[in-house]
Amino acid sequence: MAPPVSCFLFVVLFSASCKVITSLDKNCTEKEANKTYNCENLGLRGIPDTLPNTTEVLEFGFNFLPTIQVTTFSRLIDLIFLDLTRCQINWVHENTFQSHHQLNTIVLTGNPLIFMAETSLNGPTSLKHLFLIQTGLSNLQFIPVHNLENLESLYLGSNHISSIKLPVNFPTQNLKVLDFQNNAIHYLSTQDVNSLKQATNLSLNCNGNNIKDIEPGAFHSKVFQSLKFGGTFDLSVILKGLQNSTTQSLWLGTYEDTDKRDLTSDMLAGLCDMSVESINLQKHHFSNLSATTFRCFTRLQELDLTETHLRELPSGIEGMNSVKKLVLNVNNFDQLCQINAASFPTLTDLYIKGNLKKLDLGVGCLEKLENLQRLDLSHSNIETSDCCNLPLKNLSHLQYLNLSYNMPIGLRSEAFKECPKLQLLDLAFTHLHVKAPQRPFQSLSRLQALNLSHCLLNTSNQHLLQGLLDLRYLNLQGNRFQDGSISKTNLLQTVGSLEILILSSCELLSVDQEAFHSLGKMRHIDLSHNSLTGNGISALSHLKGTYLNLAANSIRIIPPHLLPILSQQNTINLSHNPLDCTCSNIHFITWYKENLHKLEGSEETVCANPPSLTGVKLSEVKLSCGITAVGIFFLVVFSFLLTILLIFSVKFLLRWKYQHI
Amino acid sequence: MKGFMAAFFVWTLISPNGDGGQAWPTHTVCEDGSLKVLYQSCDPLQDFGLSVEQCSKYLKPNLNIRFGIILREDIKELFLDVNLLTKGASILSYSYAVCEEDLPKFSFCGRRKGEQIYYAGPANNLGFEIPEGEYQVLLKLYNEKHSIVACANATVISS
Repeated sequence: MAPPVSCFLFVVLFSASCKVITSLDKNCTEKEANKTYNCENLGLRGIPDTLPNTTEVLEFGFNFLPTIQVTTFSRLIDLIFLDLTRCQINWVHENTFQSHHQLNTIVLTGNPLIFMAETSLNGPTSLKHLFLIQTGLSNLQFIPVHNLENLESLYLGSNHISSIKLPVNFPTQNLKVLDFQNNAIHYLSTQDVNSLKQATNLSLNCNGNNIKDIEPGAFHSKVFQSLKFGGTFDLSVILKGLQNSTTQSLWLGTYEDTDKRDLTSDMLAGLCDMSVESINLQKHHFSNLSATTFRCFTRLQELDLTETHLRELPSGIEGMNSVKKLVLNVNNFDQLCQINAASFPTLTDLYIKGNLKKLDLGVGCLEKLENLQRLDLSHSNIETSDCCNLPLKNLSHLQYLNLSYNMPIGLRSEAFKECPKLQLLDLAFTHLHVKAPQRPFQSLSRLQALNLSHCLLNTSNQHLLQGLLDLRYLNLQGNRFQDGSISKTNLLQTVGSLEILILSSCELLSVDQEAFHSLGKMRHIDLSHNSLTGNGISALSHLKGTYLNLAANSIRIIPPHLLPILSQQNTINLSHNPLDCTCSNIHFITWYKENLHKLEGSEETVCANPPSLTGVKLSEVKLSCGITAVGIFFLVVFSFLLTILLIFSVKFLLRWKYQHI
Repeated sequence: MKGFMAAFFVWTLISPNGDGGQAWPTHTVCEDGSLKVLYQSCDPLQDFGLSVEQCSKYLKPNLNIRFGIILREDIKELFLDVNLLTKGASILSYSYAVCEEDLPKFSFCGRRKGEQIYYAGPANNLGFEIPEGEYQVLLKLYNEKHSIVACANATVISS
């Protein structure tokens, strides 16, 4: 009997020691002191004692709680958000949340629920969001309805639900989001839809259900905020079924991995009998695309035809007079004129992003779009030697233009004369050719934001930014300056209204003391990822109250006379610099500790020198410079000896004098 | 002493694996005469399953794949980074948007943290011939917050 007992004892002993170790490693992460905690993936079997009673947001996913009941969370009565994703929960017993009056969101995604007690969701005074995704639900009666009066969103995706019909007593008056993604709903009856009639402004998501039939009149005079039927094989079923309905946005796109039927104008005929403001048809194929295909699109305000394999839009589409936003991303246009823009005279927003072929901008292709305010032509393989007055002809109301991520573009003086009202211009990652005294942005006196990052600019052109009288944001990231230095006279002198300047990753070695003198309104300057030293700070002497980013430079020592410049700024980031932590930098280190509230990234602000302090956070360095204790000791001993010597010599001198009187 | 040894043995059996020491098993995606593809999950939290319908060094466009995983993050936005190395030198780096807010390419886009996903369908790849040799491929799936959704170290042997 004895050996098995001792064996058992050992096992207990060892498992206990093991438990101690694991509970030490397995601590929740504090995201906001006393309020927000993440305890995911820790294999926990209960709420750890280390969590404070004041916890409001708890991410507790991927742990092990087969049963949750009244005692499980009883200590955490302040909970507002509780995420119990994939905790292998089988049972939600009576009154589990009875003392959690503030609880607003419960996430039960991915739990193999067997049963939820009638009172299992009672307690919270305003439970707003309930996630029951992939919980094995097949019958909506499963959900306890007693405390759902305030429910705003109910997520029921990836279950085995075959009907959207909510139980008779299910409260829907506050419901705004009802999500049935990836279920087995193939049929919608009048009764089904009627069960939602108390909800106003409802967004109903039926993506991934492949609806095969809708009872005629099921949606008669029903109003929705949005309806989603993504991935449906035959769209005509949906459009016929939605007869006489009103919805703000209708998502009918399809996917790479879904079977689909080519769209014909007959299939889209149902659109004539319903009221829709915005429609998405992404990834569909049109067969025999012609002007008549769109005959029922007349009341539409937004049309999204992303990746619909378009080579052109037919000319002579009539009646599209209310379309304000047109999305033609990821299509196959050769020339901008092929979109036949004249069909959309009221357009304010046009997106032709990610065109799959080299897009030729042509001449005046958009000139009929007098109301156009936003134009996105990014990632579209655009290459031109003379941009942009001919292509953007007559776009006098344009406020936003995106030409980023294109092929090389040549700009001459007043390149945007046709759109004088531009407020934001994005040219990032597009190689710009601008010959020396040319002033491409002249005439953009209303421009507020300009992104020129990674444009391979010729920064020695002093006139490059001339004319930008109201520019507040300028991004020059990744451009190079002659000799790695910004000199006294530079291209920034003409943009005095600048508030935000980004000069990171520009390979800068130095900045002249007066380089930024004309920039008096600056409140954010980013000089990170360069090779600047402490002396670079002198260029900022006239700036006050800014956000200053000097991270990832070559700053070792900051001389004492530059510290007042740092003191007058709001926030400073000095992380990832090879900072010196010897007595030659003592003034800076003292300053740093006194101004910790101003410093950003202090976790990554560490010493590089001396070797004994490498990697130590600057805020934790303790240096005592000047006279050390040992020094003081020797000094005291020395002066003591000197005094004794003096006394003795005086004594000796006096004695000698008296003896010779 | 015997009892102690037995206890120790039992303890080693029942105690959880040491942290970090555990590696996921290496799986075979496919294997035939001219091509062999192996992979191992490099996500410390979990393994995943992947297989390819057809296995040949003459890679067909739009190959059918099967993929099974538990999501640890929402995938409203999902990106794939591919790094191809041979003999330790990187020869190709490539980034591909799988799911975007304005273009959810696949039906699983928009699914939530905690969901189990099984995908059987086209991979939307280009067709090409894999030159002879041994390649290391590092694949990373991550969302807009740069949180890892899946990570794989793969080896491709083409002969």
